[in-house]
Amino acid sequence: MTAIPLARQGRLRRLRKDFFGSTASTMMTLASVAVILALLRWVLNWAVLNATFSASATQAVCAERSGACWAVIAARWRVILFGIYPYEEQWRSALACAVVVVVIVLSCLPRFWSFGRLALTWGFGAAIFYILMRGGVLGLVRVNEQQWGGLPLTLFIFVATGVIGMPLAIVLALMRRSELPVVARVTGWIIDTIRSLPLLSILFTCAIVLPFMLPGFLVGEKLYRVVFGIALFFAAYQAEIIRGGFQGVPRGQEEAAKALGLPYWPRMARIVLPQAFRLALPATINQFVIAFMETSLVVVVGFVELLAAGNTAYHTGEWKFAYIEVYAFVAAIYFAFVFGLSRYGAYLEARMSAGQRKE
Amino acid sequence: MKLSIKTALVAGALSLPALAAHAGVGDTLKEVQGRGQLNCPGDIGAFLGFAEVDDKGVWKGLDIELCRAMATAIFGDPAKANIVPIDWAQRWPALQSGDIDIVIKASGGTLSRDAELGLQFSMSYYLGTTKVIGHKALGLTSLKDAEGGSICLPASTTIERQVSSYLSAKGIDMEIVALEKNEEVEAAYFSGRCDTFAQWGPVLAVAASQAENPDDHVFLSDVLALEPEVMIVRQGDDNWVDIANWTLTALLFAEQEGITSANVAEVKANPPNADIGKFLGANPGMGKPLGLADDWAFNVISKVGNYSEIFERSLGQQSPYKMPRDMTALWKDGGVLFPLVVD
Repeated sequence: MTAIPLARQGRLRRLRKDFFGSTASTMMTLASVAVILALLRWVLNWAVLNATFSASATQAVCAERSGACWAVIAARWRVILFGIYPYEEQWRSALACAVVVVVIVLSCLPRFWSFGRLALTWGFGAAIFYILMRGGVLGLVRVNEQQWGGLPLTLFIFVATGVIGMPLAIVLALMRRSELPVVARVTGWIIDTIRSLPLLSILFTCAIVLPFMLPGFLVGEKLYRVVFGIALFFAAYQAEIIRGGFQGVPRGQEEAAKALGLPYWPRMARIVLPQAFRLALPATINQFVIAFMETSLVVVVGFVELLAAGNTAYHTGEWKFAYIEVYAFVAAIYFAFVFGLSRYGAYLEARMSAGQRKE
Repeated sequence: MKLSIKTALVAGALSLPALAAHAGVGDTLKEVQGRGQLNCPGDIGAFLGFAEVDDKGVWKGLDIELCRAMATAIFGDPAKANIVPIDWAQRWPALQSGDIDIVIKASGGTLSRDAELGLQFSMSYYLGTTKVIGHKALGLTSLKDAEGGSICLPASTTIERQVSSYLSAKGIDMEIVALEKNEEVEAAYFSGRCDTFAQWGPVLAVAASQAENPDDHVFLSDVLALEPEVMIVRQGDDNWVDIANWTLTALLFAEQEGITSANVAEVKANPPNADIGKFLGANPGMGKPLGLADDWAFNVISKVGNYSEIFERSLGQQSPYKMPRDMTALWKDGGVLFPLVVD
């Protein structure tokens, strides 16, 4: 019997076994490393070594070097981030973004997880965001929703989708498992109908067709109709995810709660929902990531969100050649948000499974 | 021109009778005046030279300037033009639903738009032709020379249809490379994947002017199609069409008479003849029949400029594209544009 290997030796051995265990896997390893290195080298060359960083560079200057032309970001970053929001007022857009990020970060902290605190944070956050973006009060110039653009618009749509969609999803999920067959059946129909419509057609309907069908006082601003449509779509999917979570909770849990005489709401809020949520968490994070990506679809109904603003930014005589740089910049912003979201999801899973480990 | 399949679907779906009821109701001018701004379409992204966004997020381009001219005619202030960012697919539904008051968006007058969608056109303010460029090194002068070669074009647009019918009519055999995004088409052509590249003229001129070596590319002699670009409004409001037409006439008439934003005040103070005096509002009569102020044309020229000034800023010598006027010149300079008669 050999002595227990040191952890490090064990890891090395495992590495060797996993990556160089046989001729085939050795070759695969070497080939993959070669490809990765080549890609990295290419990216590094393009983005850093051969790139032009001077903010005042023009197409002619950039063309002399083979790499990226980051001058486009220096010249057009305000168009990318804020779209066609009035130039002099763009500080309001920036501040509004900061407010959203702060509110999101705050509500991610376990310390804020009480209904009162969350409601207060979100209520305040929403009010500040709305006043900053729309103006018309406190001496701020009024800016139409049509002029909103770039990052604040993307964040607004995403956050509003979550804030409206998530509670709606819970309600739908609860209704679908209602003991009254009529309620359960009808909810099922509603969910399935929404899910069988493409998001694009929902967007078009909300933006363009609804004004013809609704009475005037219900029409409202196009942005809010569209956000409502996206939230409805999100809720239909999320409701099914939560229902999946419900099905994973052992029947005995609810029966035991009933036996203890807990009425419906405490039973749901304290026994069933928390467990269902934990089971549904990976899929929920997934759904949020998708929702974030799908905000870029609102471009088809005439909103200049982040990606469209990027499009606008390079679409001009001087910068037409530099679209890869602009897309890379926009991709980095998306990456920062989505990566943060998935890491937070991983943290939540670790935290929630803490009590589970003993089993 | 940019009639993709998506566009067609949406336009088709939304031009149903439900919408037709909205068309042509009310007096558009009164509605615009009541609202205090004129709503025109911009773009999602940009359409180079016609509607694009500068470093400060302000719209510019030929279509945008025409909208500003019209806003100036109505309000005396170009800033009253409100540019709504909408996509190609949405311009008709947006016009029908009243989100915008007029479509000035590099759009041609077609039978289906006129008769089926229930729209009405102004005179043409620009003539767009579909053309082809080729690599100079190949020594091409027309598409006939490129027989057996390849042609790059944007997929599922009218360009694709025009090219294939032109090729079959002339009996030229070429490999068609259709790609989805204009950037892809351009990249494919400039990287040498295709011998030639077909597009709407202005887009092509812009692309060629931005090439690494603009001199390496030549315009072939073929003209595949002509599309007269017009301003488009809902059917049934004749006064509104008149205002669009007379705004355009003011721009062209000023150019014809040599009136620019620089000298318009001088000319107004000292009109060379009675018609110009009336045109600039020195004598009454220019505004009343249209429901506008008598000095509306003066405002347009002094605050926006004449047609030539607008063109040179947007597409011509003062722009990065340096496009010649060509057919879009005034009749007396060998072009086809003309003002109506101011009497």
